[in-house]
Amino acid sequence: MDFWTYLPQLFSSGITIGAIYALVALGFVTISRASQIINFAQGEFVMLGGVITFFFLKEVNLPYPLAALIAILIVALIGFVMHLSVVYPLRKASIVILLMATLGASIFLSSTSGLIFGTLPKALPPFSGEQPLQLWGVFVLPQSIWVLLSTFILLIFLYLLSHRTLLGKAMEASSTDPLGADLLGISRNLMVFLAFGVSAGVGAFAGILITPIFFTSYSSGTLLGLKGFIAAVLGGWGKNSGAILGGFVLGIVESLSLAFIPSGYKDAVAFIILLLILYFRPKGILGSPFIDSRRW
Amino acid sequence: MVDSKKNEFRKRDVFYLAPLWLLSLIAPDPYLYHKKEFKKKDLFYLGAICLAPLIWFDPHFHHLMVLAGIYAILALGLSLFMGYAGQISLGHAAFFGIGAYTTAILTTRYALPTFVAFWASAVSAAVIAYFIGRPILKLKGYFLALATLGFGEIFLVIVRESTDLTGGVIGIFGIPWFSVMGFSFDTYLKQYYLTWGVLIGLFIFSKNLVRSKVGRALLAVAASEDAASSVGINVPRIKLEIFVLGAAFAGVAGSLFACVMSIANPEAFSLGLTVPIVMMVILGGMGNLYGPIAGAILLTWLMDVLSRYQEYSLPIYGVILILLLIFFPDGIGTRLNVRVIYLIGYWAKKKKRDEGKL
Repeated sequence: MDFWTYLPQLFSSGITIGAIYALVALGFVTISRASQIINFAQGEFVMLGGVITFFFLKEVNLPYPLAALIAILIVALIGFVMHLSVVYPLRKASIVILLMATLGASIFLSSTSGLIFGTLPKALPPFSGEQPLQLWGVFVLPQSIWVLLSTFILLIFLYLLSHRTLLGKAMEASSTDPLGADLLGISRNLMVFLAFGVSAGVGAFAGILITPIFFTSYSSGTLLGLKGFIAAVLGGWGKNSGAILGGFVLGIVESLSLAFIPSGYKDAVAFIILLLILYFRPKGILGSPFIDSRRW
Repeated sequence: MVDSKKNEFRKRDVFYLAPLWLLSLIAPDPYLYHKKEFKKKDLFYLGAICLAPLIWFDPHFHHLMVLAGIYAILALGLSLFMGYAGQISLGHAAFFGIGAYTTAILTTRYALPTFVAFWASAVSAAVIAYFIGRPILKLKGYFLALATLGFGEIFLVIVRESTDLTGGVIGIFGIPWFSVMGFSFDTYLKQYYLTWGVLIGLFIFSKNLVRSKVGRALLAVAASEDAASSVGINVPRIKLEIFVLGAAFAGVAGSLFACVMSIANPEAFSLGLTVPIVMMVILGGMGNLYGPIAGAILLTWLMDVLSRYQEYSLPIYGVILILLLIFFPDGIGTRLNVRVIYLIGYWAKKKKRDEGKL
C-alpha cells in the first residue's frame, strides 16, 4: 500500500490518542497550577479509571454510565487519599523526595490493582457500535468520535472551573504567588488537595475513554502517565492550552512515525521528542508561565 | 524545687548518652568526619566486610551481599551526582544496562576475556554519558529527572528492538564468570570478595575525590550554581564530569552484574531498578559516602524479604518506600543521634506529663 493512502488513517488515529494524552497532560497541569508538584502516579489514575469501570460493568453488572460515574468518583477519592497520605506529609520536602514518593505511590497503586482486579488486560465495550464509519475516505471508529466529543466537553467544563469560579481563581492564585494567596486567606493545602481530586477524576475519565480502544492492564499506566507529562512539557508547562496542544501534537507525531519506523520503536519517539524539546525550547510550544529565564 | 528537677534531668541525660555512644560506633555520621573515631570506624567496617561472609557461611547470604555490593557501586556513583552535585538522575539504570550489555556482547560474541570487557563497560558507559550529558545537564529539577528518565526508556526500547545485537526481550545468556589471569570467580564467596573489593577501591577513590578541589566545587554547585560560577567554577563542565564518572561507576557495576548473574535482559534495567537505586541514595543521606552502601544493603535485604510474599510484595514495597520517605526524608543515618535524643526525651516527658495530669 502506498504511503499517502494510509497517511489520513494514521492521522485520525493520532488525533484520538492525542485527545487521551491531552487529558492526561491536563491532570498534570491541574496539580502543577495549584502547587509546583509533579504527580508521577497520574498514569495510574488513568489505568484505575478503566479497570474499575470494567469491574463494575462486568462483575457487578451495573449500567455503563453508572459504572463510569462510580469509577470516576472512586478514583477522585483515591486522589484525595493520596494527597492526604503521601503529598501532604511531604509538602516541605525537596523535589527528589516528592518525586520518589509519587513513584512509590505509583508502584503501590498499579500492583494493588493487579492484585484486586487481576493482571489480565481488559477491554471495555465501545460506547456505541463497533462498525467503523467512513468519513472522507477514512475509517473512523465511533469510539474515536466519542473520545473527541467527551474531551471537548470536559475541556469546556475545566475552563469554566478554572476561569469562572472562585475556586479556580483561588487555585491559580495559590500557584502564581503562594505568599500572596496565604495573606489573602486562601488555604494552599486545601487547593492542592482539591487539585489532586480533580486531576485524578480527569485521569479516570481519560482511562474510561481509552479502554475500549486499547487494552488496559495493571501495568499500562506508567507509560501513559509519562507520555501525558511529555505532552504537557511539549505544549508549554503549566498552561491548559499548552497541555491540549501538546497532547494532540504528540499523538499525531507518534502515530505518523509508524509510517517511517518499525512499530516497536514507537514508544521511543515520545521520549526523543521530549529530549529535543527540552534542549531547543524548554518553554514548550506556547511558552510557560513557570519557566521564564533562558537557563532554568 | 527547680534545682532538683534540673538535677534529675541531668542524671537522665547520662543514661541517654549510653545508647548514643553505642550508635555512634556503628552509625555513619557526616558531622563527625573530622574527629578521630572516623579511622577506627573505617577499620571496623573493613573488618566486618571481610569477616561477615566467613562467620555467616550461607550461600544465600553471600549471593545477597554480592547483589548489595553491585547496587552499592551503582548508588555510590549516583550519590556523587545527586548527593554532592545536587542534581537528579533517573537514568542510571540505563548506564548500568549499557555496562552489562557491553560485557555480555564482548564476552559471548567476540570471546574477549572478562577483564577486558570489564574496562570496556566502564569506558562505553562513560562515553555514552558524555554525549547524553552535554545537552541534558542544562536542565534542572523535575525536568532533568524527566530527561534522564526519557533516556532510560529510549535505551530500553533500543535494547528490546535490536534483536540481532542484544537478543531482544529474552536477553543474552551464558556470560562467563569473571576471571583474572586464569583465576575464575565461580562461587558466591569469591564473587563477594570481588564485588566488595571493587566497591572499596571505588569508595576510597570517591572519598579522595570529595575531599579534593573537585569535591569542594561540587558542593558549591549544589548550594548555588550562580554563586559557584561567580567564584570561577566551570559549572557545566564539573556537572558533566561528575555525570560521566557516575556513569562509569554504573558501567562497572553492570559488568559485574552480568558476570555474576551470567544473564543480561532488559527487565533488569527498567524503572523497577531506578526507584531502588535512588532510594538507596536518599535513605543513606545525601552528601554522604557511607550512606549509599548502607542503603544498598538495607534495600537489597528488604527486597529479598519481601519476595517471599510473592504477589503481595510490590504493594508492601510501595508502602514501605513512602513511609521511609515520610519519616526519614534526609536519610536514616543522618542526625540519627538527634532523633534518638528527641524520641527518648519525648517518651520521658510524656511519662512526666501523664504523671502530672494524674
